[in-house]
Amino acid sequence: MSETVLKLENLSRTYDSGKSKVPALQNVNLQVNKGEFVAIMGPSGSGKTTMLNVLGCLDKPTDGKVLLDGVDVTQMPEKDLYKIRSSKIGFVFQTFNLLPYLNARENVELPMECNRTPKSERSKKAKELLQMVNLSGREEHRPQKLSAGEQQRVAIARALANDPAIILADEPTGNLDAKNKQEIVKLLANLNMTRGTTIIMVTHDIHVASHTERMLLLSDGKITKEKRGMHSIKKKTICPSCHNAIQPSDKVCPYCQKTLETKV
Amino acid sequence: MAIMISIPAGATANQASTLSLSQNLVNTITQTEANINQTLTEIDCSLASGFEGFGFRTQEYGNFTPGQFGGGNAPPPGNFTPGQFGGGMNIPGQFGGGSFSARGGSTPMNESLYDDIATIPNVASIVPILQVTEGTNTTMTMFDRTFTRMIPDYVIIGLPLDSTALSTYPILPTNITSGRNFQSGETGVVLLSENNSAFFKAGVGDTITILDHDFLIVGIHGSSGMEDSQTLYMSVSDAQAITNNTGYVTSLRVFATDSASVTSVSGAISALHPELQVTTSQQRLAQLEAMQTNYETALANSEATVAQTQSIAFEEVGVAIAATSLIVLFLMLYTVRERTKEIGTLKAIGFSNGNVMSQFMLEGILLSLFAGLVGIAIAAVAAPTLSGLLLPAASQAGITTNVGRALIGTNPATTAAVTLTPQLVLIALGASVLLGALGTLYPAWRASRTRPAEAMKYE
Repeated sequence: MSETVLKLENLSRTYDSGKSKVPALQNVNLQVNKGEFVAIMGPSGSGKTTMLNVLGCLDKPTDGKVLLDGVDVTQMPEKDLYKIRSSKIGFVFQTFNLLPYLNARENVELPMECNRTPKSERSKKAKELLQMVNLSGREEHRPQKLSAGEQQRVAIARALANDPAIILADEPTGNLDAKNKQEIVKLLANLNMTRGTTIIMVTHDIHVASHTERMLLLSDGKITKEKRGMHSIKKKTICPSCHNAIQPSDKVCPYCQKTLETKV
Repeated sequence: MAIMISIPAGATANQASTLSLSQNLVNTITQTEANINQTLTEIDCSLASGFEGFGFRTQEYGNFTPGQFGGGNAPPPGNFTPGQFGGGMNIPGQFGGGSFSARGGSTPMNESLYDDIATIPNVASIVPILQVTEGTNTTMTMFDRTFTRMIPDYVIIGLPLDSTALSTYPILPTNITSGRNFQSGETGVVLLSENNSAFFKAGVGDTITILDHDFLIVGIHGSSGMEDSQTLYMSVSDAQAITNNTGYVTSLRVFATDSASVTSVSGAISALHPELQVTTSQQRLAQLEAMQTNYETALANSEATVAQTQSIAFEEVGVAIAATSLIVLFLMLYTVRERTKEIGTLKAIGFSNGNVMSQFMLEGILLSLFAGLVGIAIAAVAAPTLSGLLLPAASQAGITTNVGRALIGTNPATTAAVTLTPQLVLIALGASVLLGALGTLYPAWRASRTRPAEAMKYE
């Protein structure tokens, strides 16, 4: 049985707008396992972003529990939530949200500064991550010198900086053209496959969602539909022990050296 | 900011200088009063200045009174030297509005012409004094007129060193700081003031040459205030000989038998010799007291000016501080508002409230530090000009200082121009950092409290 990374229990979030109360999320229950790539879809105002904010400890639910890596974050005081955001969660935003006065490498290093990672290590890791998102040689460029697609890659590298348990992506392709959209979603899928990173992605785009293995449809603050197995080939190429990408023909994992089951 | 801080510092320096001048005057007056009380029977007789038509009077270009400091009527302060005051000056009454005739005259008079004074009833003794000023003549032009004036190097006072005079009357200097005083019947010896000693570069036991004659220095007298700081004492016969004034004196000190007969004696002298300026001790005391009042008024005026300057400067500094803090406050509030989304992002990627707050505090402080440096650079260039423009009163205080310098014979390097000292620079930088921090405190706190979910929505 796969390890549960995220569990929502009877999650509700109601916005109090003075005169009336607007329910954004109503009794949502959800379990996400380690290594899953989940898409959340739904029309505007269905509660997608609210759900992502609550998952990401940016917002507190009105009711219910959010168990992140087994920890109920709803019970934590507001001032301590930054620790969870820093160590367990990586954010990718629709508008990239890079700091304009820092270059690509410095932007990636930023979350590591919160963790007090030594400078040399930060720099090394930032370069590795930028290399992984195919931005070698662009490390010293400021965001305004990078294309939209490149900026989103920097943002993805930044989200991975502290090796989070989960990446929350809020319409990561919303501001991109078709070609870049394709590339970014492939990159996310690849990260999910090769590194086993758990990703929850909010999107409007069915084509983008089709790269995930599980799709949730949110409507009026409730999960109304769920589809599984859209990304069928994925499981065959992941080592169940270390979650690294392997060839389906491999008998022994080249990373963790464990013997693989021959089941296809 | 730096300019604002530097101005009161300049004003304070001026005030310090004025106070030192005041202290010096008070010392002189106290000393003179003490001398006068000792010699209540003394009547000073000398030729009234300008009597023989020589010399010029300051009245020609307006009375100069201490209260007019900073006015247009005063001669350039550089022309006043300490030796010109209280003797040795050929224009008595030039200073202090012409009301004070200094002790002793400077116009030579034939001693034998005044032998009849001795016949006046109740005259106990007549002590002849010769006073000659040695110095350098300089020519100056003022109000389209050319004057030749002497800048004294030293003032010779010849005193009778016979045993009767020495044992009976307090004519010798009393404050001997090194060496000894004159002894009865001595000749070829001098007593120098400390200024003289510096001028001749000689001390007790050395021999100096005065007007081609050698003299042995037997002692140094400490000057009492400003009156005899350039006075060199010798025997009256030596003084007459070396200055070609044999038979001539510049003043006669007539001593009455008792203080009750001073008035009648002085009246008799004036009746016999109307050309003489006869001053009794009591009159001199009254004159001195009048002068003291003048000085006190001048000092009060000057202090009021300095105080006013300071209060203006402090008000301006206060306004500057308030304005600086408010500017930083609003600027940082604006910055925080502009960067709401960035703050949201920082919090989303793991920045704590403390991280965000310190980030903004650091920015505010660095910004203020940089502004402080720019301010100091501008102040270094513009403060001397600006301080005069902003505070004309400060310039007036500067003139007071110049007069003070002339009077007390020292050269305090204080002027109205403001100089930037390292201390001042540090204070200004410290103040900018402090104000920056103060102004940033609230905006930074607000930034740290921003709720990330709401901040992310901000466009």
